[in-house]
Amino acid sequence: MSVGLAPVRQRWIWPALGASVVVIAAIYDVRLGIIMGVWLGAWAVNGWLAGAARGTGVRVMVPLIFGTTLLALWEITVGLYDVSPIILPAPSLIVAQFAVSTDVLWADFQQTILKGALAGYVIGCGAAVLVALAVDRSMFLQRGVLPVGNFIAALPIVGTAPILVMWFGFGWQSKAAVVVAMVFFPMLVNTVQGLKASGAMQRDLMHTYAASYWQSLFKLRLPNALPFIFNGLKICTTLALIGAIVAEFFGSPTVGMGFRIKIEVGRLAMDMVWASIFVAALAGTGFYGLVALIERWLTFWHPSQRRR
Amino acid sequence: MRSVIPVLTVVAVIVAIWFAGSIGMNRAWTVDQAERRGLELSAADIIADTLRQERPVLPTPAQVMAELWATTAGEPVFRERRGQMQGNPRSLFFHAWQTLAPTMLGFVMGTLAGILLAVGIVHNRAMDLGVMPWAIASQTIPILAVAPIVIVVLNAVGLEGLVPKSLISAYLSFFPVVVGMVKGLRSPNAMDLDLLRTYSASNAQTLWKLRLPASVPYLFTSLKVGIAAALVGTIVAELPTGARFGLGARLLTGSYYGQTIQIWSALFMAAICAACLVALLSAAERATTRRMGLGR
Amino acid sequence: MKKTITTALALGLASGGMAHADAHADSVTLQLQWVTQAQFAGYYVALENGYYDEEGLNVTIQPGGPDIAPPQVLAGGGADVMLNWMPSALAARERGLPVVNIAQPFVRSGLMLTCWADSGIVEPADLAGHTVAHWFFGNEYPFLSWMSQLGIGVDGGDDGVTLLQAGFNVDPLLQRQADCISTMTYNEYWQIIDAGVTPEELVTFKYEDYGVATLEDGIWALEENLSDPEFVDRMVRFVRASMRGWAWAAENPDDAAMIVLDYDETGAQTEEHQLRMMGEIALLVAGGDGSLDEAAYARTVSTLLAGGSDPVISAEPQGAFTHVITDAALAN
Repeated sequence: MSVGLAPVRQRWIWPALGASVVVIAAIYDVRLGIIMGVWLGAWAVNGWLAGAARGTGVRVMVPLIFGTTLLALWEITVGLYDVSPIILPAPSLIVAQFAVSTDVLWADFQQTILKGALAGYVIGCGAAVLVALAVDRSMFLQRGVLPVGNFIAALPIVGTAPILVMWFGFGWQSKAAVVVAMVFFPMLVNTVQGLKASGAMQRDLMHTYAASYWQSLFKLRLPNALPFIFNGLKICTTLALIGAIVAEFFGSPTVGMGFRIKIEVGRLAMDMVWASIFVAALAGTGFYGLVALIERWLTFWHPSQRRR
Repeated sequence: MRSVIPVLTVVAVIVAIWFAGSIGMNRAWTVDQAERRGLELSAADIIADTLRQERPVLPTPAQVMAELWATTAGEPVFRERRGQMQGNPRSLFFHAWQTLAPTMLGFVMGTLAGILLAVGIVHNRAMDLGVMPWAIASQTIPILAVAPIVIVVLNAVGLEGLVPKSLISAYLSFFPVVVGMVKGLRSPNAMDLDLLRTYSASNAQTLWKLRLPASVPYLFTSLKVGIAAALVGTIVAELPTGARFGLGARLLTGSYYGQTIQIWSALFMAAICAACLVALLSAAERATTRRMGLGR
Repeated sequence: MKKTITTALALGLASGGMAHADAHADSVTLQLQWVTQAQFAGYYVALENGYYDEEGLNVTIQPGGPDIAPPQVLAGGGADVMLNWMPSALAARERGLPVVNIAQPFVRSGLMLTCWADSGIVEPADLAGHTVAHWFFGNEYPFLSWMSQLGIGVDGGDDGVTLLQAGFNVDPLLQRQADCISTMTYNEYWQIIDAGVTPEELVTFKYEDYGVATLEDGIWALEENLSDPEFVDRMVRFVRASMRGWAWAAENPDDAAMIVLDYDETGAQTEEHQLRMMGEIALLVAGGDGSLDEAAYARTVSTLLAGGSDPVISAEPQGAFTHVITDAALAN
């Protein structure tokens, strides 16, 4: 029920406010005025678009405009204020560098995401679900493992990266190990909570059907746990990505996104650094989107999947 | 209270596995050294040596605890230098404070930013559609890569020391707060919202009287995640600022000089700090919900 | 939210860059290229013994670390001068950051390649087919240059070297993940010895012995600042006091090491390590007075240019150093 922050007859207040901000900024410094103008103008377009129309087109356009505006502001600011490319390169330079380095970035992507992050994600989440099932069977384990698990989850995993590289070597295995360490506990906590999610009436019903533990698990409790499991899986996608990249900072072969970022910062090639960061952001968002898509397919029945 | 025995059992099992792990992983070095010196070692000698190495591959729990004790209780927090009292860099409490200060500042900033963003998202459709995807994307940018860049840029602007670290800490902690608060602000059911509409409440009044109180449980859950994230953010931010002090710095310098015991003790201190912060938040949550009548 | 930050940053960058340059007239900020250790003893001695005070300077020493690229800090206005290895600084110069060498306290290179003797490596040409762990972040240039000159690729395989990006410790060698690692005479080599390995079990190649050494810790500043006479005067005083510090440190290595330990804010350095480091560093600065030896400079440049298909720099640097500061500093 969001009809905007002002009733209809006072809608002129916002454009007037915006215009005066732009004018004041321009008086202070022309460049600042231009930047404010672009920003507020885009905001106005977005606001109009969001209020005027509904539908998938709008859902895609608004974040797209938001993002494009951000990039445009970045480009304009770097250009107007003459910022050195060694500190912050303009998006145009980054795109140019990206275009010439696709083979290097692709090799990095394979090493970090496909080998390190994905392997660790699958192993970590799989192990967490299995341990959650074990913990679920035993009240004793539940009371014992979860508090300890919370403590271990509080360990800054960034700190375990050098240790794990020392143990597992320089290859993708150590990166997978860091990812396993990072995703295990969030996934465990979510799965345990999910297994408790089925209602008492539903469990009693299974009891009246003389269902065994396993039948009850597969037909009732696991499906009910899916929303929580997917919540955990979504959180773990970004954690897996970050874990793999951070682990590479502490030792890697001469390929990988973390490696690339680290050495290119040392060579002051900031455009390559940002191109790599862009690939990481793209990969992370894509991964998250993929899991969200699978979630919609499998848990279509859950209220959170209803379109508002 | 009934959790005490299970927790102790699990901890005991972990400690036992840990000791066994130490012996197993440090064994290679001991045997290697003995071979090169042409010595014969019995199994008991090997075990004894693996538990006492100076640069072990896996320090034993005893070694880590001893180091923790030595650097906390065994070192004064302040020392006299050049006529002034300064923090003592050999004290882990000093480093813990250097990490906790930006963490708490960053956490407060991140929470405020998160709440403001969430309010904006719930009330303004443009922000709702525009900001959320980018907030999610922002979390996929590897902070460890961006932190040095951010610090250099902020130093160029004249902001040094506490503020850059807090900003990075805030960056990591605002996202859980946004997600939780958006969910919380949208949680009041249709009947309650209609009731306030019949009272002719404005959006601001609905926000203040209904949505915000309803979102308190979600807020506290997110705050607990957020504070752990803020701590990680500060530790990450310490690396590009010269790794001079703070738990992250201690972690790193331990790693450069191969002082594995130092790494582990810094890690444990960080975990203890995180656990304490979360416990503080839980206490605050209990007090708040009791006052609000949501008490369970 | 992000747009607000971007705009604020833009505002700040414009004014902040200038603000730093005309800060307090007698203050100097030095950006070290690593954490506080005896490698930088001269500067800490000058601070402790009051040499900077005597020149009327208020000096702030900023330690470096693995994620700090001193050229970047200099570009961002976070420091007035930086310490940097010449290959890294010349590469930065080519990238568009005009840094100029104003003094060169380190006369000799301390870079070495240390291998297990039992890996069968007797001379550098034997490196083909082995695994080497090396540091990056500005330190990779001498190694890549050397391999290029020897005709050994760095992409693995039987006739190339498999290169690993190592963290800044000696574990890759100790854990046998690599046959060789890069070491400094004053730091990593002794960490290996400390870990229980005897010198007989190692074979070491010093870059100096093979003619591929490059100049290391030098004092660099931004070219545009050098056209400001007030800045030049500050630099002259700074270099003069720093070289006094180095001279004192070379003569009193043990006391210098203790001074460095005192300034170590992490509390992680040990006396033994720093005393030994200071002894080795004294060997690297011995005989130098801070002025850049042009013959050594030419050797470094030709080593970097001879990097075969992937040279560190592609053209002879112009105006990369100046004697103006050291001439004035050493005049009295």
